[in-house]
Amino acid sequence: MKVPTGHSYSPYWVALTVAVVLVAIGLPFFGDAYLIDVGTLVLIYVMLGLGLNVVVGYAGLLDLGYAAFFAIGAYVTALLMVRYHLGFWVTLPVAAFTTALSGVIIGTPTLRMRSDYLAIVTLGFGEIVRIAATNLTFTGGPEGVYGIPHPTIGSLVLRSPRAMYFLGMAFALLVLAGSYNLARSRLGRAWLAIREDEAAAQAAGIYPVYFKLMAYVLGAVFAGAAGSFFAVKLTAINPSSFTFIQSVTILMVIILGGMGSLPGVILGAAVIVILPEALRAFDQVRMLAFGIGLIVLMLLRPQGLWPSRIGQIERRAVATSEASAAAGVSSDTPSTTG
Amino acid sequence: MRIVFAAIVMLTLLVPITALGVGAQSATVKIGVPVPLSGGNAKMGDDIAKAARMAAEEMNAKGGVLKRKIEIVAFDDACDAQQAVTAAHKLIDAGVVAVAGGYCSGAAIPASAVYHDAGVAFVADASSNPKLTDQGFGNVFRVIGRDDQQGPYAAAFMMKKLMAKRIAIIHDNTVYAKGLADATKAALDGKPGVQVVFFDAVTPGEKDFSAVLTKVKSLNPDVTYYTGYYPEGGLIAKQFKELGVSGKFMAGDANNDPTFVSEAGTTSEGVFITSTPLPQDQSTAKAFVDRYKKRWNQDPGPYSALEYDAVGVVVDAIKRAKGTDRAAIVKAIMATKGYKGATGAISFDKKGDRTSVLYITYIIKGGKFVPYGAF
Amino acid sequence: MEIALQQMVNGLTVGAFYALIALGYTMVYGIIRLINFAHGDIYAVGAFFGLSVYGLLAFLHIENPVLTTLLALVVSMGCTGLLGVLLYRVAYRPLLHARLSILISAIGVSLTLEYGLFLIYSPSFLVYPHLFGRAGPSLGSIQISWLQAVIFVSSIVLMTALYLLVHRTKIGMAMRALAINQDAARLMGIDVNRVIGLTFFLGSTLAAFAGVLTGLYYSQISFLMGFLVGLKAFTAAVLGGIGNIPGAVLGGFLLGILEGLAAGYFSSRWKDVVAFGILIIILVVRPRGLLGERVVERM
Repeated sequence: MKVPTGHSYSPYWVALTVAVVLVAIGLPFFGDAYLIDVGTLVLIYVMLGLGLNVVVGYAGLLDLGYAAFFAIGAYVTALLMVRYHLGFWVTLPVAAFTTALSGVIIGTPTLRMRSDYLAIVTLGFGEIVRIAATNLTFTGGPEGVYGIPHPTIGSLVLRSPRAMYFLGMAFALLVLAGSYNLARSRLGRAWLAIREDEAAAQAAGIYPVYFKLMAYVLGAVFAGAAGSFFAVKLTAINPSSFTFIQSVTILMVIILGGMGSLPGVILGAAVIVILPEALRAFDQVRMLAFGIGLIVLMLLRPQGLWPSRIGQIERRAVATSEASAAAGVSSDTPSTTG
Repeated sequence: MRIVFAAIVMLTLLVPITALGVGAQSATVKIGVPVPLSGGNAKMGDDIAKAARMAAEEMNAKGGVLKRKIEIVAFDDACDAQQAVTAAHKLIDAGVVAVAGGYCSGAAIPASAVYHDAGVAFVADASSNPKLTDQGFGNVFRVIGRDDQQGPYAAAFMMKKLMAKRIAIIHDNTVYAKGLADATKAALDGKPGVQVVFFDAVTPGEKDFSAVLTKVKSLNPDVTYYTGYYPEGGLIAKQFKELGVSGKFMAGDANNDPTFVSEAGTTSEGVFITSTPLPQDQSTAKAFVDRYKKRWNQDPGPYSALEYDAVGVVVDAIKRAKGTDRAAIVKAIMATKGYKGATGAISFDKKGDRTSVLYITYIIKGGKFVPYGAF
Repeated sequence: MEIALQQMVNGLTVGAFYALIALGYTMVYGIIRLINFAHGDIYAVGAFFGLSVYGLLAFLHIENPVLTTLLALVVSMGCTGLLGVLLYRVAYRPLLHARLSILISAIGVSLTLEYGLFLIYSPSFLVYPHLFGRAGPSLGSIQISWLQAVIFVSSIVLMTALYLLVHRTKIGMAMRALAINQDAARLMGIDVNRVIGLTFFLGSTLAAFAGVLTGLYYSQISFLMGFLVGLKAFTAAVLGGIGNIPGAVLGGFLLGILEGLAAGYFSSRWKDVVAFGILIIILVVRPRGLLGERVVERM
């Protein structure tokens, strides 16, 4: 059975990387407000994708309620800035702390569960956070919080799309650096061990629950940071930005892009944001085209656009299932390959 | 194969860059219409966009404005805050001179900040939440009334016409519905002999409201007021009657649509609806309804007439401003006095709200909306 | 007391719908470990197909409500079942071993179905013929309509039939074998693809049945109607123990009743929080679900 060889360093991918970097740097100078806004949105999804990548990609936990942490970070910043007139930078550590705490609270009782039950439980928590935000007057109810002031650096007010883009870029780079270092740290290696074979890891002295919790909490903090930025970018947040669909969208970012791989997440974020925008011309058919596009993309390239080593496993798995599908079609001959 | 992938991905990155080659120096006068074109509110958005297009077509047939043709640029905001903001940026970059549209208040409010920063006029046709204009942005206007006007009206109707003592209020936790519910409750609180016995929300998208209605039934209300939208409104009215809940059923202006009747069927008889006068009851609007039906082969939506007027207000302002300078247009809209629209005469107050908004109550008789009387 | 019983009746009706849809989720998950995001939309498709049948029959001047309803049910179930198999063949089979990619494909299928309905039928909602009113027996002041009784009884009948199929027939044995170990099943000569296809077929027919009944009972169908219900039904399936057929039924009814009680006694706008909260507590206490799970171990 042929396994396709990896291609991470082929010239095409290098060219692609260069193109992406050029676009990312050139955008704030050559793009109009709309393009810069789209670019900033990509950066937000990069942050979110990187955070979820830690949870799903590094630690192998299927989280369907990730938008909850995004919401918590956004609301903490929004409420502190609007109700208590605190500065943006002051709200950041508070948001980070609150999301980390939520991660601990949600994660501790639930991370023992099998990963697929975890999916529904995290989904439940995501909905609980969103509904609470909608129902409580303290969070502004369905109207949410609006009139969020712009962040300032000294006397400089960051309000233009370009300023927001740079701020977002700074956040995204920090998160990127963090993810990169995490993957190569002892934590990262522990996660890899747990993901590959939990029983063996346990035998080697790694307590899965502790490390899973670390991944979950770190992922939460990344989402919280993205949320804080989101609040000041939009200047008005409400619960409808933090639905289950949002959680699914973030999951799509990392699966489309290629699980566990940092360039994959960036690419995935770009596609998830830009594709519906590019399809605007199709008007009514936009969402239908998007749906079909997803299916086609997965059929053609199930390992994602830029997979990491994990992607190799996916690719081999797909080849396996294709072979067994072929074997299964000839129904009456018991097949010993599989 | 890899080239194909690389190409596809490059394309998705570059297409928007090239697709937006529209400069501000085009020959048409562009008016932006941000509305939901996907998701659960797509039909409403489509009705609004159609009304805008019809307005532009009619005016173009008369020569357009400033000797140029009017072009309607409609973008999908999907009733989502972020998408509305993106759509706003896109409209501004496409060179619109003003914006007339919007549907969900939750999307309109964040987007209004973007329009404010760009100095572009935003005339809302359907966002009735008070906060939209309370923000104090000088460029935001609306041709629809405010929920804190409809609420007190509904309350007064319930107390004085229906003699209600026990009132149940149901909303759906959307910005619009809750705003109207809050305003109604505020007008009822503290009134002697009157009690709000139930105040809670249902979840839009669900179909079964029997649990809530059973609870309401146990509280014996004289009037039950639903402030949400008509997809749920029709269902709730139907289940209300089927469960045998006491008292009358009343609904807010987002239910003033014939589909409410088709949904609720015979159970819609005797239901009250608070609303601004429907097009069929305004001589000015009747002609609009007929033209709309002829043009699009379907009935106009509840906000079509309002959008038609919103576009009309914008074009009228352009004429008075004698140019397409965005700031000048904002000033001209502010100065609008008695513009004769399909929904009546339009002037704006200092906040950008429409002055003298009239609410009346309808009762559904024989499947039709019959005016029960102003109040 | 009467209010409580009325709420129970309401809850059981809603629960019947959840249970019918939860069965599809649980069966598919049991054999291929896929959370079929598109299953709720299959339910919606079933409802729309049913409406088309009604429309066609009305065009042919066939008016008898019972006859038209039976035809609508049978045709819709058949067509939706086949659609389910088709979707499996096209969008899932090539991705069976790629656990997360198949999820994305399911999301793609979900969007495709939703916006397919959006474009083909209606962007807002459509109304079913009002064939059966709410007339029915009343026990004291508790209202039960005939339609509700039919929904409840027919759901139980269908679910029992499914259970018997899975546990008493040869093909059912094949399904169970597949759920335990796919490779071993293949070694025993079981045509894996056919069995998986059958599973999709059965799940989809049940969802279609629920869809048509939803149209009859609530009168309103819309292209997004499957989304929320699908989510709840999946929750119900997990609650009962994923992969477990009686568990899905129990979970569905339980969730329906829980929601009704939460809305009736606590607060309607918090009812989903209550429902999820209880689900989480149950899963923490009984991590395998109420009746235990039946899931394939390794694929």
